[in-house]
Amino acid sequence: MPLIKGNKIVADAWHVHADESVPKQDYCIIDLACWQENKASLISQKLTFGLTLEGDADMTNVTDDLQHFALIAINFPSFVDGRGYSLAKNLRQKYGYTQDIRAVGDILPDQALYLTRVGFSSLFLANEKNALLALEKLAEHNVFYQPQTV
Amino acid sequence: MYLYNEFDQTLIDKRVEQFRDQTQRFLRGDLTQEQFRPLRLMNGLYIQTHAPMLRVNIPYGLLSSKQLRMLAHIAHKYDKDYGHFTTRQNIQFNWPALESVPDILADLARVQMHAIQSSGNCIRNITCDPLAGVCADEVEDPRPYCEIIRQWSTLHPEFSYLPRKFKIAVSGSPKDRAAVQVHDIGLHMRKNSQGDIGFEVLVGGGLGRTPVIGQTIAEFIAEADILAYLEAILRTYNRLGRRDNKYKSRIKILVRATGLEKFKEQVETEWASIRYGDLVLKQDDIQRVKDRFVSLNYERCDDSQPTQPTSDSGLFRRWFKQNTKDHKQHGYRIVFLSLKAPGCPPGDVTGKQMNLIADLAEQYSFGQIRTTHDQNLAFTDVKSVDLYALWQQLDKAKLATVNIGTITDMICCPGLDFCSLANASSIDIADGITQRFKDDAVDIGDVSLKMSGCMNGCGHHSIGEIGILGVDKKGEQWYQLTLGGSDSGQSKLGDRLGKAIAKDAVIDAIDDIIQVYKTNRAGRESFSGTLNRIGLAPFKEKVYAAD
Ligand code: SF4
Repeated sequence: MPLIKGNKIVADAWHVHADESVPKQDYCIIDLACWQENKASLISQKLTFGLTLEGDADMTNVTDDLQHFALIAINFPSFVDGRGYSLAKNLRQKYGYTQDIRAVGDILPDQALYLTRVGFSSLFLANEKNALLALEKLAEHNVFYQPQTV
Repeated sequence: MYLYNEFDQTLIDKRVEQFRDQTQRFLRGDLTQEQFRPLRLMNGLYIQTHAPMLRVNIPYGLLSSKQLRMLAHIAHKYDKDYGHFTTRQNIQFNWPALESVPDILADLARVQMHAIQSSGNCIRNITCDPLAGVCADEVEDPRPYCEIIRQWSTLHPEFSYLPRKFKIAVSGSPKDRAAVQVHDIGLHMRKNSQGDIGFEVLVGGGLGRTPVIGQTIAEFIAEADILAYLEAILRTYNRLGRRDNKYKSRIKILVRATGLEKFKEQVETEWASIRYGDLVLKQDDIQRVKDRFVSLNYERCDDSQPTQPTSDSGLFRRWFKQNTKDHKQHGYRIVFLSLKAPGCPPGDVTGKQMNLIADLAEQYSFGQIRTTHDQNLAFTDVKSVDLYALWQQLDKAKLATVNIGTITDMICCPGLDFCSLANASSIDIADGITQRFKDDAVDIGDVSLKMSGCMNGCGHHSIGEIGILGVDKKGEQWYQLTLGGSDSGQSKLGDRLGKAIAKDAVIDAIDDIIQVYKTNRAGRESFSGTLNRIGLAPFKEKVYAAD
């Protein structure tokens, strides 16, 4: 599946670490349960890893840990589920997270622009066609009343 | 009237192009029904029983003659030459073809209008008091603030996929004429002891299946802070509102399940993180918006009207008394145009009428027209000396039915005739009520009657003094009556009168209710006054006497 970052399609170095075991290599994306289970050993390994969050993730127990993640992937179970937008915004504005925030799951090319406006820095599209269309949408001249989230 | 700047215009022009592209992709099969759905809804396009329905925003209910002429043009060219004004001060076209919607939107953009977010799970058009700017009891004209909120909420990237639709209303007066208590967020403009402007914020009100009166979440939010505070509420709702059941996904359900105190805490935590950020409204920002509202140059004139008796002066007097209202400016009056003439579905206006109204507004009322929550129109700034001449023309065009505020000035949703969700029809019931009461409506006095074709409550039945709700009983159309609701001042939900009533008995039942009121009222007591004093029982007895 194509990844868009910085307004172009780029190779993806990351992969999803699906089971609950402790990952042993760089660029694994783990879920919240895995993080909470293996926090101590993960930190001691000094690996580069990322975290997947669902739109309704309870952030109370992870806000202090955010510096450990080189990437946060927010999952969209459906393209009409807008929770991820607010979560990304929170990560940027409220928790000061400055690294990569990636949109994964069910997202439409038509949503690319809005996603980048609220703080997503990379988008994982379902297929090549959608990715190209998303790039087109991102390149269009647009104006917004709302400030850009950085 | 707010005039767009270049930025505002670019924004809606872009939106038209985007929607044209989306429509073409859908028609080509590149977007599925399911994918196209939220995109078209965000541009005001529903698919109804017979055809698509396009809802066009009229921000805070204010139209220019030029805009109304464009609506007439659209009705004529793309629809069956009429439009329907809604309870949220917007207009709907019931018969446009999907393929022509991008062209309609382009026409609208030429007169600074759009259909953005007039449906879908996003922040809808901001509404306010239809008499904003002309009523004497106003703390402050709410319209510039409505415009500021409109801009903030338009194509909001974060809030375009909310759990459910979201409605905001603003009232500028202590007397609530914007029904703020039955909105997802209601804002009441206030002045604090230092004379600073701010808002009392209500949250969690709404009609529909579970009608709820909104509660105050903040007594006073200063004008500078209002956008950040709204954003904090929306973010909390967007994160935590239910998405598993569309009947439980409005903010009222979240507030109720969380509890107001806890919800308030959540909102304030969000607010604390953005309070001093980009959304702070500076005096300059507010002034810049205020400056883009054209101000009206009232002339100094007196309140005199033509006094010479004419053959129709009796009718004119009655119209004057019922359909016009005091203005804060000496020598001017507010004129309501009734869209409830016998034989016309409430809120419907033909293209020809629209053009005439546009002309009359130019001639008599600064070229501006207001839409009201009661599905009527208003000329808010008519010189008293012009009233007779204006009345003659309105009367000819069937826009001067003497019934504003009365039982025949009812609110009514499209019901079974147009809406695929309806249980029962409402337009024919409305017509029956008009026929029954058209001669003594004024004599009966002000009674608010509101009717919905199903429990979604688009006709606001639960806040009508008399509410009529269409229900389905084994495939037949039945009607549930409620009495004692209110949306003026303190909102209140009506109480159920008794079991549902068969279609052919509804008009008689309403007649019974009115008879009980008339026999029991003390002097000029209002319907609600009498009801409060004597209770539901006498009404019940009379309506269900045959049982
Ligand atoms: S109240 Fe029901 S029938 Fe009437 S317009 Fe709304 S959804 Fe349709």
